[in-house]
Amino acid sequence: MEQGIFNSTYQSLIESFEKDHLPERSFEDETLLAKRAAAFQVFSRKGFPSIKDEEWRFTNLNRILKQDFSLRPPSISFAKAEESIAGLDACRLVLINGVLAIEQSDVLPEGLIFLDTQAALANPSYSQLLGSIAVDDNNAMLAFNTAFFKNFYVLHVKAKKLIEKPIHLIHKFSEAGSPSIIPYRLLVIAEELSESTLIETFHSDGQASVLASYVSEVQVAQSAVLHTHLINAAAEDLNLIHHREVEQFKTSVYNNSNLALGNAAFIRNNFNCRLKGSVTETNLLGSYITNGTQHVDNHTVVDHQMPNSNSMELYKGIMMDRSHGVFNGKIFVRLDAQKTNAFQQNNNILLSDQATINSKPQLEIFADDVKCSHGSTVGQIDEQALFYLKTRGISEERARKMLIEAFVLDVHSRIPIKALQEYVLQLLQAKLDTDSLVTA
Amino acid sequence: MLKIKNLQAKVDDKEILKGIDLEIKAGEIHAIMGPNGSGKSTLASVLAGNPGFEITGGEALFEGKDLLDLAPEERAREGLFLAFQYPVEIPGVSNMTFLKTALEEIRTHKGLPPLSAKEFMQLLKQKQELVELKTSLVNRSVNEGFSGGEKKRNEILQLAMLEPKLAILDETDSGLDIDALRVVAAGVNKLRSEQNAFLVITHYQRLLDYIVPDVVHILFEGRIVKSGSKDLALQLEEKGYDWLREEVVGG
Ligand SMILES: Nc1ncnc2c1ncn2[C@@H]1O[C@H](COP(=O)(O)OP(=O)(O)OP(=O)(O)O)[C@@H](O)[C@H]1O
Ligand SMILES: [Mg+2]
Repeated sequence: MEQGIFNSTYQSLIESFEKDHLPERSFEDETLLAKRAAAFQVFSRKGFPSIKDEEWRFTNLNRILKQDFSLRPPSISFAKAEESIAGLDACRLVLINGVLAIEQSDVLPEGLIFLDTQAALANPSYSQLLGSIAVDDNNAMLAFNTAFFKNFYVLHVKAKKLIEKPIHLIHKFSEAGSPSIIPYRLLVIAEELSESTLIETFHSDGQASVLASYVSEVQVAQSAVLHTHLINAAAEDLNLIHHREVEQFKTSVYNNSNLALGNAAFIRNNFNCRLKGSVTETNLLGSYITNGTQHVDNHTVVDHQMPNSNSMELYKGIMMDRSHGVFNGKIFVRLDAQKTNAFQQNNNILLSDQATINSKPQLEIFADDVKCSHGSTVGQIDEQALFYLKTRGISEERARKMLIEAFVLDVHSRIPIKALQEYVLQLLQAKLDTDSLVTA
Repeated sequence: MLKIKNLQAKVDDKEILKGIDLEIKAGEIHAIMGPNGSGKSTLASVLAGNPGFEITGGEALFEGKDLLDLAPEERAREGLFLAFQYPVEIPGVSNMTFLKTALEEIRTHKGLPPLSAKEFMQLLKQKQELVELKTSLVNRSVNEGFSGGEKKRNEILQLAMLEPKLAILDETDSGLDIDALRVVAAGVNKLRSEQNAFLVITHYQRLLDYIVPDVVHILFEGRIVKSGSKDLALQLEEKGYDWLREEVVGG
């Protein structure tokens, strides 16, 4: 017997699959429908993962599934998404409750295409790739998404194209009537020798009450360079379960920054990079600043399958109040992956006695000629540094802010786009203003 | 300016300051000497408000205000400054932001508007020249990767920027080469006036050749056991502390 969560949200999802969901999807081809059916089997057998599942030990979905979320066609009346980043010259694409708001989206530069659900599914090469990068055989949340997703987008960067202007994909969640579960997905294809940047930001209007299930599959072809950024600036009403699966081929470069700087009640990121070619480079940056009762869980996998690849992962977290952070970073170095260089570091500061961090690095190394290092720390604010700042007339609160900003600076300062860096700093400062750091 | 009476402090049940009396007036320079572990840095820390020490008795008035009642940042804003014996490194906080923030807080306390970016840079440049600190260091994180001497100069740069009423220099001279010593001393001499005062903690007479004290105190096992003119420093240089030990224990 599977030890999942089989609550009323689960029950209503199971019931709606054949009754409401499949009839809506009758335009889809058989291969996709077969994928959905198989995924549905996995999800119905396993249920939502409970804390008995090793991968979910510290993250209790029961907490957010206390209320019933229903799967309904997302609203089509679009609120205007105001979220843009000052000074950032980017092409905006706006998704509201998972649905593309065409009239709010920009025209894309040459060399790159973005397809909406209908267009994406009309092309068999895309629907075939769907679910083949992120394979859901045994993953209930991934299977849930495959079975139930309503919208599917494709961002396709053509070979040898250097796209200088970043694509800014805005995920906005707004009032949807009653609590809704919104499954949708994205496929990113970066063809050979291309270079491009995708910035994704998450926002909500405070009345959304949403559980978003977002899956992004990313293919970085030979010698391609792809920069992606995920910045969560949503309000408390957002619960997000995101799965990203990246496959990288020979001599490709993939850089990501994954920042939780908003107030979303719940975030779970599964971030898996499969390094399927040799001489690849992967840089994963992350930060999470949490307060109140926020829960942010980052599970990452860096899977070195071929020789001579480098990976660097740096995640830093600050937990205030009663918030809870989880970091689980796995590095695999397969037998063939000789001369791997893999670095992983997770540093945390707890600003309150009642805040929690569960940090667990895991290394599984099967090759012998490799350089791997990992480290994990949990600490408090450096009292000596704090005293030093105060002896120069700087207030306790301001001094704490300076030290916190300094702590995450080595993550944020590596974001290569100036306007984005400034945006991140603003979010961080706004976040630190919401909390009384002194009484922590 | 500063009046300390019977000040006592301990850390982890260990008594360190056992009743200090000290009075410093505007325009004066006092030196404190004393063997390792006698409590010199503890006195400095306690005056600056280090929460690691527990005050067990006595009082300290600064410009008539109860110093011990003020938070460290309030003491700084009132015009107290401590140049640390071991300045801490603060990676990620730029020296520039740090100085700017500190100056702003202190000016606000004095009812002055913040300096414009240009005014700040001009002031910084001027003070930087005074202590001969390289611009590349000013642009780095606070003390991060600074040499011992560079850290000390950075302390004096802060002193010069913040213009306190009373500056306590805790072994600012140790670790300085002779040129740096001259620079630091020249900086202090340039900053001294009838309105401010200095308390200089040192082991070496040579600093006092450059910064000439009005009074020299000897701190020994948590007490000031002797005070005198600058000649006292010479005497110590010559005879060490042994004669004192005998005198104190004997008397
Ligand atoms: N945080 C602390 N915990 C325990 N003991 C301490 C602490 N700080 C100081 N002490 C002790 O208090 C005594 C006085 O130390 P302090 O640093 O004030 O000496 P000092 O006169 O400045 O010496 P030095 O000339 O070596 O700088 C020493 O015995 C020291 O070990
Ligand atoms: Mg000392």
